[in-house]
Amino acid sequence: MHEIISEIVDSVDFKGIRCIKGYNEIARDYSSYLCDESKLAHQGAQYLFFPANEGELSAIFQEMAKRDVKITISGARTGLVGGAVPYGGAIVSLEKFDKILGLRYDNRLKEWLVKAECGVTIRDLNNWAMKKVFPGLSEGGSAETKAFLERYKESKTTYFYPPDPTEMGAALGGTVSTNASGARTYRYGPTRNWVRCIRVMLASGEVLEIPRGKCFATPAGEFTIIDSKGNETGVKIPRHTMPSTKNAAGIFSAPNMDLIDLFIGSEGIFGAITEVEIALQKWHNPVSIVQFLPSDDKAIDSVVALRKEKSIRPEFIEFYSSHALDLLRNKQDEDPKVVGMPPIPDYAKSAVFFDLRFDPESKDNDYSKLEEIVCTCGSTLAKSWAGYEQRDLERFKNFRHVLPETVNSIIAERKKKIPELYKLGTDLAVPDQALEKIWAFYKSKLEKAGLEWVAFGHIGNNHIHINIIPRSLEEMKEGLSIYREFAKKAVSLGGTISAEHGIGKIKKEFFSIMFSDKELKEMKAVKIALDPGLILNPGNMLNI
Amino acid sequence: MIADRYNKISVNLRRSVAEKLVKMKILICVKQVPEITDVKINPETGTLIREGVDSILNPFCEYAVEMGLELERHYGDIETVAISMGPPQASSALIRCLEMGVDRATLLADMRFAGSDTWATAFTLAQAIRAMEGDFDLILVGKQAIDGDTAQVGPELSEILGIPQIMYAVSVELTGNKKKIRAKREIETGNEIMEIKLPGLVSLSKGPMIRSVSSFKEILDARKKELRVATASDLNIDENELGLGGSLTQVVKIFPPQVKKTGKLVDGSEPQGAAKKLIGFLRERKFV
Repeated sequence: MHEIISEIVDSVDFKGIRCIKGYNEIARDYSSYLCDESKLAHQGAQYLFFPANEGELSAIFQEMAKRDVKITISGARTGLVGGAVPYGGAIVSLEKFDKILGLRYDNRLKEWLVKAECGVTIRDLNNWAMKKVFPGLSEGGSAETKAFLERYKESKTTYFYPPDPTEMGAALGGTVSTNASGARTYRYGPTRNWVRCIRVMLASGEVLEIPRGKCFATPAGEFTIIDSKGNETGVKIPRHTMPSTKNAAGIFSAPNMDLIDLFIGSEGIFGAITEVEIALQKWHNPVSIVQFLPSDDKAIDSVVALRKEKSIRPEFIEFYSSHALDLLRNKQDEDPKVVGMPPIPDYAKSAVFFDLRFDPESKDNDYSKLEEIVCTCGSTLAKSWAGYEQRDLERFKNFRHVLPETVNSIIAERKKKIPELYKLGTDLAVPDQALEKIWAFYKSKLEKAGLEWVAFGHIGNNHIHINIIPRSLEEMKEGLSIYREFAKKAVSLGGTISAEHGIGKIKKEFFSIMFSDKELKEMKAVKIALDPGLILNPGNMLNI
Repeated sequence: MIADRYNKISVNLRRSVAEKLVKMKILICVKQVPEITDVKINPETGTLIREGVDSILNPFCEYAVEMGLELERHYGDIETVAISMGPPQASSALIRCLEMGVDRATLLADMRFAGSDTWATAFTLAQAIRAMEGDFDLILVGKQAIDGDTAQVGPELSEILGIPQIMYAVSVELTGNKKKIRAKREIETGNEIMEIKLPGLVSLSKGPMIRSVSSFKEILDARKKELRVATASDLNIDENELGLGGSLTQVVKIFPPQVKKTGKLVDGSEPQGAAKKLIGFLRERKFV
């Protein structure tokens, strides 16, 4: 099937919808809606809406279209590329779409599925899934849902939702719109792999319900959307080749692709996702290990070896470069409680952080292959930190998160003297075979330039975040030029300019490194077909 | 024959003195507790709600373990032994002690111990120590468990064993050629230094600011160390002195403290009006 019909939702009187009017009032009382985690400067907004259902959202879309007012969709505003930062017009916050709508077991897919509104956070979703308590379902759910809920509770297996963007306060809708990734993408793939159905409100105010596996592109790469009045809109998918890496740059494209994938990761430029059905995965008790190594190069060797050894299946593999450990050591001297770990040993010149399945009750845990790899890379299992209690898992996770936070605090301090300074954080990924090559490239360029930098992040996916911490505007200029070189190198190695942050309003200048003019034109054509008035999320991803 | 017997006794004595000179023994009594910061009690049954709550080594007991291991690192030639009384699953708290570096551990697990109050717990621990660890030098305990908060088992244990005690220590050192222990304890008016002869008992109220972390090797090796499970039959103890029967006190009811609702609620549906009301209220009472 290549056609899909959009539906009208119960109409609501626009006049009855709560609206904050005027920039002054928004800036005075609701300033947090003007920015997100990117700290990008906004360009003002005239309206701020808080719809609580699709009827209200549809009325807002239709009224704003009539007035030719652009709309910026706002979720939890945890994005790093300014996707939720308004460039004029109206802000529509979907925070009131916060309900769990259903739970069911799919016999065909053999998996548990949870349906939730877009404003539910990933943290809540995971807590509820793991504790087997879904607010509202046992009271307000249908008889069928209640029966499923009982069955779910009775099951001895614990389930969780694998996508884990570092910021677990992210809203589900936002994570689907950006195809969010995180450490666990190494083992479980990005958000896309876990989405089974979405409801998306188009700029027209009509809604598409798109289950996975029902609507595919024609061999010529086309979809047809038929609205409630019978009008047909043809959508021709772009023909670019997707990088064979974790990727958050550009619109998804594949021969005979599923329509749902066009909307996942499209950064809200085609519509606002209102509901999502996601799949859960079985949870296994892990042990978190920070393995210290004698050098960055040995850490890279250990990652290559860990990936090759099929009997070891880490949930994720993260990286702390030598400079990153030094930065954390300084932080420990300053305030040991923030880091929350004992002093980092002097022998630690680099580290990899990973989770492995672990049974604390068993005496037969065999990790001899891991020991072999670690020894080959010049270390031993005695030179590690490990923990498996829940409080330790959280502690180790914090040890990972405290690193970018420390970088941000250094930048914030330097900004007091030089306000124009900002952190230069890369989000590049390359295919597996290019990891050693790109690391050597990063290191040689950065060392030659004499800049202050750290490297950390999702090395399992060859997705190392290089954070350049400029001390002056000259250094920032030099850092930016190096960043561009890195992006070009990553793309030349078959990688991406953005593995997880997306493009938003901040990374558009790198877009042309990855896509040709023709490919960008094809993406714009999809935008024009689905949002002819260009009212949704102006400034995101495409210059149009 | 008399000479033979004399020689045997003499050899045994010399051996025990020699062993004593080289190896000191520290016993660390620990408890497994639910990891709870916000205690929830079932109002109908009056019991703690433990569903979804992980069990951990009591943090004050962890301080005691840290201190025992610190003494071992500092003075050397010390054997550390962790002892706990609890259900079979309490062995995980002892495994945590073994991961931290304790040499061996004993779990006292028997249905006959169930329902023990602090006295019966201390008495059972004392009997276990007499029966299985006889010749010890020092007992370390946490000042209290975070679930019951009684802080009674440590002092009771030292009284039953007839050894001196120092409560609420924050740091310790061995003195007098390892025959004494000196501890700094925090009291309301400052710090107090106390010294007792060994064998003795010290309870710890503070540990390092940052909890220690084990290496993966220590976690794996801990599972190969000795973890003995002992029952009432191993303790040479009268059954009437165990569990509920041996308890001098009984918990009649557990209930959360009543929360007095004395707060004033300002309707926040109109933020501006609500803020004005709030400021008026604060000004009225001269807070601002």
